[in-house]
Amino acid sequence: MTLPSLFRHPWRRSLADCVLAALVSLAWAPSPCAALGDDVPADHAEQMEASMDLFKQEVRALLLQHCVDCHGGKETHGEFDLTTRDGLLKGGQLGPAVVARNPSESLLLKLIRHEGEPNMPQDADKLSDAAIEQIATWIAGGAAYDRPLVDPADAMAAKPLTSEQRNFWSFLPLETPEVPAVENDAWCRTPLDRFVLAKLEAAGLEPNPAADRRTLIRRAYLDLVGLLPTPEEVEAFVADSEPDAYGRLIDRLLDSPHYGERWGRHWLDLARFAESHGYEQDDDRPTAYHYRDFVIQALNDDMPYDKFVRWQIAGDELAPDDHRALMATGFLAAGTHATQITANQVEKERYDELDDMASTIGTSMLGLTIGCARCHDHKFDPISQVDYYRFLSTFTTTVRSEIELDFQPEIYQRKKAEFEAEHAPLVEALEHFENEELASRFEAWLATDVERVMPTWLVLDVASMKSEGGATFTKDEDGAILVSGKNASEDTYTFVVPTKVSGIKAVRLEALAHESLPHDGPGRADNGNFALSDFQLWSAPTGNASPGAPVKLINPKVTYEQEGLPITATIDDNKKSAWAVDGKIGQNHAASFALETPIDNPDGTTLTFILKFQNNTGHNLGRLRFSLSTLTEATSPKDEAAPEAEVEKVNAALSTPPGERTGQQRETLLAWYRPRDPQWQKLKEAVRKHQAAAPKPELTKVLIASEGLPAVRLRTQGADFFEKTYFLKRGDLKQKVGEADQSFLQVLMRVPQDEGYWQETPPDGWRTSYRRRSLANWITDVDAGAGPLLARVIVNRLWQHHLGQGIVRTPSDFGASGERPTHPQLLEYLAGELIAGDWRLKRLHKQIMTSAVYMQTADTDETRAAIDSENHLLWHRERQRLEAEIIRDAMLSASGLLDERMFGPGTLDPEQKRRSIYFTVKRSKLIPSMMLYDAPDALLGLGRRSTTIIAPQALSMINSQQVQSYAEAFADRLLSGEEGSTDELVTRGYEIALARRPDEAELADSCDFIEQAFESYRMAEHDEPRKQAVADFCQVLFGLNEFIYVD
Amino acid sequence: MMLPHLFAKPPRQYASRRDFLRTAGSGAGLLGLAALLQDQGLLSTAQAAPSEVRLNPMAPRATHFPAKAKSVIWLFMNGGPSQVDTWDYKPELGKRDGQELEGFDKNTGFFTEQVGPLMKTPFKFAQHGQSGAWVADIFPEMARHVDDMAFIHSCFTKTNNHSPALFEINTGFSRMGFPCMGAWVSYGLGSENRNLPGFIVMYDTLGRGLPKGHAQNWGAGFLPGVFQGTALNAQGAPIDNLYRRDDMSDAQQRAQLDLLRRLNKHQPSSDEADLAARIESFELAYRMQMAAPDALNIDDEPAHIRKLYGIDDPKCKHFARQVLTARRLVERGVRFVQIYSGGMENERSWDGHQNIKANHTQFAGETDVPIGALLTDLKQRGLLDETLIIWCGEFGRLPIVQKGGTGRDHNPHAFTTWMAGGGVKGGVHYGETDEIGHKAVVDRVSINDLHATVLHLLGMDHEKLTYRYNGRDFRLTDVAGRVVRDIVA
Repeated sequence: MTLPSLFRHPWRRSLADCVLAALVSLAWAPSPCAALGDDVPADHAEQMEASMDLFKQEVRALLLQHCVDCHGGKETHGEFDLTTRDGLLKGGQLGPAVVARNPSESLLLKLIRHEGEPNMPQDADKLSDAAIEQIATWIAGGAAYDRPLVDPADAMAAKPLTSEQRNFWSFLPLETPEVPAVENDAWCRTPLDRFVLAKLEAAGLEPNPAADRRTLIRRAYLDLVGLLPTPEEVEAFVADSEPDAYGRLIDRLLDSPHYGERWGRHWLDLARFAESHGYEQDDDRPTAYHYRDFVIQALNDDMPYDKFVRWQIAGDELAPDDHRALMATGFLAAGTHATQITANQVEKERYDELDDMASTIGTSMLGLTIGCARCHDHKFDPISQVDYYRFLSTFTTTVRSEIELDFQPEIYQRKKAEFEAEHAPLVEALEHFENEELASRFEAWLATDVERVMPTWLVLDVASMKSEGGATFTKDEDGAILVSGKNASEDTYTFVVPTKVSGIKAVRLEALAHESLPHDGPGRADNGNFALSDFQLWSAPTGNASPGAPVKLINPKVTYEQEGLPITATIDDNKKSAWAVDGKIGQNHAASFALETPIDNPDGTTLTFILKFQNNTGHNLGRLRFSLSTLTEATSPKDEAAPEAEVEKVNAALSTPPGERTGQQRETLLAWYRPRDPQWQKLKEAVRKHQAAAPKPELTKVLIASEGLPAVRLRTQGADFFEKTYFLKRGDLKQKVGEADQSFLQVLMRVPQDEGYWQETPPDGWRTSYRRRSLANWITDVDAGAGPLLARVIVNRLWQHHLGQGIVRTPSDFGASGERPTHPQLLEYLAGELIAGDWRLKRLHKQIMTSAVYMQTADTDETRAAIDSENHLLWHRERQRLEAEIIRDAMLSASGLLDERMFGPGTLDPEQKRRSIYFTVKRSKLIPSMMLYDAPDALLGLGRRSTTIIAPQALSMINSQQVQSYAEAFADRLLSGEEGSTDELVTRGYEIALARRPDEAELADSCDFIEQAFESYRMAEHDEPRKQAVADFCQVLFGLNEFIYVD
Repeated sequence: MMLPHLFAKPPRQYASRRDFLRTAGSGAGLLGLAALLQDQGLLSTAQAAPSEVRLNPMAPRATHFPAKAKSVIWLFMNGGPSQVDTWDYKPELGKRDGQELEGFDKNTGFFTEQVGPLMKTPFKFAQHGQSGAWVADIFPEMARHVDDMAFIHSCFTKTNNHSPALFEINTGFSRMGFPCMGAWVSYGLGSENRNLPGFIVMYDTLGRGLPKGHAQNWGAGFLPGVFQGTALNAQGAPIDNLYRRDDMSDAQQRAQLDLLRRLNKHQPSSDEADLAARIESFELAYRMQMAAPDALNIDDEPAHIRKLYGIDDPKCKHFARQVLTARRLVERGVRFVQIYSGGMENERSWDGHQNIKANHTQFAGETDVPIGALLTDLKQRGLLDETLIIWCGEFGRLPIVQKGGTGRDHNPHAFTTWMAGGGVKGGVHYGETDEIGHKAVVDRVSINDLHATVLHLLGMDHEKLTYRYNGRDFRLTDVAGRVVRDIVA
């Protein structure tokens, strides 16, 4: 490169540097000027050239080999990224790394020369002296780069997957395993058992026999519906000697509406479901509970799981007319959302939100930690950053929105049909009258030789209008002006109206209601009121300059005036006093004013109305209309009115001799006559009145996720979403590397075609992108998409909740860092069964619950424990602790307090008696009694709750007011009816709480306790010593391990 | 002062128990939490007997390396105190008072349209102690302890808004949903007291609100709930369900618990780990009923101590009670205590948007005497060496004035944190801001670095304290963090 001479002029140096640096660094250096100091030698350009040659030949390789891995390549230690010259000069936590052209001041050189700490490269050999010298020379020349050490786009280049990656067990197509042969045929009840038993036999282990009937019914109830069986149900089941008694029990429980309330909660954990936004203000989402209701109902309806998934991702695109499909999208809307977003956080928050949607789908549906690929390729699984951002772009335009839905459209349709059937005869009657009778009545009217019509008020047609406050005026067909747009704190309206009428004796102002106004108006204040402080009329003869002269208004009359705010205030000298109408908001009002001196301009008049609103903030009028009258000054504002132009036409027609009237004139006259015919009025009124009672769909507001709808907006200083999603190097918004188009996870795409295989385009004019619908297609595609993994993950979740452990024990991680299945063939078998059974979960529940492996006892022994202490092989039933919700629900059901009403808004009230799933999940006010037993905090999806044992749980059992109230109600239940012996009472308590009778020792201990407690309370003059003693016993039943650890 | 035997503090008792834990062999088949801790590498099989962890998941655990700090009191100045008006003296700012700050990005603070010129501090600064630290005159008491404090002047955060900044300084992430430092520490170390929560939080008791983001600031995120902070209720029972019914006597409750124990033990399975642990949990709860009220009863303190903390001074008594409570808690082996000064935002906290002088004078007045007393008191009891005190807010404030008043807007680029006790080198200043205190420029310290340093002082390697969740090993310090060794004694 040679230098043009102009660059040698000293005063052009900095420009020269800039241009040169720009040439040198081409497009990748964001601010080359800033990178260079002022103190530049004259031969700088030549030096830079030499430095760059050195960089290309030697230094680049040195930096790549020794430095870049930790400083801008794979990682960025000490915030120092030397992949670009800017980064090199900027340095990191230790300050600037290099001072260009000054090796001795360059920290980097000190560290690689081991003249300073930390020595570099860290934990590696010192560079050779020759290498260090080359770097020093390069720095002395200006530390030039020809291009970044790492191409930012490299990070985003799609890398083909290896066959090893593709062949990881969970990414493979489903197998159809052969059901293994076993020795102990007699133990097996279902094919599932053979998979389990085969492994047990191979290990020399024998499984347990089936548990007794009492254990089984309590287990099945708590597992499937989360409530206790009544003693009567227990006895009936124990007495049922039919071989299919247990199968029928399971069927009955699967049919119970409580099934959805029990199992829906498992899904809500995964969906990080909550009813508030989280973050600083944690604003409520009062319409979010519909998603919870969708989940419960879908499970109760046994909705196929693939449809359940598809609707949650894209219900609005797949079944836009089905309200349940829209409710389902609450899944995407359930994540947290910052409630106060500053301008420079807007974009980051949006990427966080997209990440939440993608990550939650990943963990809940696919058992994959997709979110791990946000900043770098996934460390364990074949999910690249490219995959991540292309997957993320699915949700680019998806926002949280609230819409109104009709949950029972069939009811509306029916009512509408009924209404229409009733309405038709009324319309027919009117039509019949108009066709058959109106003509003769019209002729009769004409025959009376009417000469002229003159209603009291002539409605005026406004020619021009202006708002000083910047409001927008729109003129309606009926001559009224609707005000919208800016509602200034004070405003002055000016209307100019030409009229041909002469002899004007009065004017009228109407203040009209309208649905667009607050509380239907007529004012624009929040309460629908207005406050007209000043009303002026000016007049000028047509042709003269308006407004002309003021007209004195007197004797105002009004339909209604608010106390203390009378109509007279509009024409007094007080600028602040005003007329207002609070008390009759949402109705039409009118005020008439007489003119002290009538206006008599034979060639017409230009009237100017000026309305001032200076009484109260934003109390401007929302809809208005003007009229005038030539009749006596005593006119009422309510008198008959018609538009000035129409009256003029009618009178012209009337003054034409009947024989000479044109067809149009006859039409004008008929149009005038028709609404004034008493019979027509009667029939018309009947139609109007009936129409007013027309049924409307019953609409409910629902929080959904969709596109092209207004986003739920809180306090944000920016956009709700951005039109494009970019690849972000290291997840950094400042490092955008091209736009990411939608695709899916490569490793789960098994067709030669690309993502287009699953993608659909929306019909013309449709408001969403169909990207989520495309994702739904892929994720449920068993043959070529993610379907096999989707099936494996859900059957594993079912197995986990039924058996206590999943076949894969990391239920939300089916990737390389997750655990491998303990029974891979069984997992394949179950997944195959699910798909073969139309993805219906209830069938699978029954298959699992009627298996010998599910029905076995929880007994353990040392011998078998020595072989398989973790019960990987399932030789015994895993005792399970009830979840927080079910602990409370079981206490409620024992106490007889349970309120079984389903669905609808929840509550935060700890006293409520509905099932715990109906507690409102407010992120900043989680229900303490739920959190105590490890209920999730609804921030990230959760596939498996921990089961901690902590003293505060025990404190709550013994001291909480709720538990005490349940125990008291339980005591009431035991004491109600005939007063039995304490023995009987204890026995009944055991039957209700534990589905069994107490043994002798238990009975004796319990009775002793009740008697002693009774004595103690009686001595202490307790109001109800016996009830309290029994309640204390009931509380002990709740505290028993057996009550919350289900055998 | 006499402590009930339950608390008999126990260095000795615990030392011996810990020895037992270290040497006791483990039975097979740890379940539940014990297994979890073991899975996470926190509990080697040689460390704690299963029954020990089962009885108390907060049982103390070994550190990665010997530590000086055994417990933490984190004094959180909620709302973001201004560094240039407290600990970061900037004479140049005084000289440039009233000048525009050139090149200022108006999106730095919260109120993007209220950007004013540079504003000098309204407070007088003077040098204190052997180390000659400059301190604003609103902190006369704390100023007496500067030789025990290590100042980090170069802290910065990633966000300029309270809630994300609070999450960041508490959890390392500005998003919701991650475990806070107190939870990580409880998870890593357990607690030295079986009868009290190991991580206790106190917030404003004057009805000025909780910090933004509420309980998420002391949440356990994906860690088991047992590690989350217990916030003492401002009214009523300080801990939920702590008191038994009024109409039930101790003897009656004891009889009830005896029946429960007998019936539970009657089951053949009652010696299984989980079930045995749950039986014990009722006994622990019974003891907590007595232990917790005792620990929280500051009326036990002698008059001179109450006076020292300012319990009788209406200006600061609310904070004084909390600081004194904190001392009583760490004395009893509670691992981590966090106290928030100030309520939710604006003038209810250190968030001095309108008038920095009035705001900081008020909140300094509420906290200076109690914090000074805490340092004096811990020192005289010989507890300062093993108690790490942290003072900071969630971010700093801008050197420019917020137009429309005499306050300052948020500044994510710089704030000062000090630490004292617990293995911290006293009288040290680390890092620097630019000459007007706008941005940290020398030895910048991120929140991850701050966290790494605190864990280090507690004997933990921040890269080794991990928890596997949804397939990933999470850390308090994410993928970064560097121990600020210059402040470690």
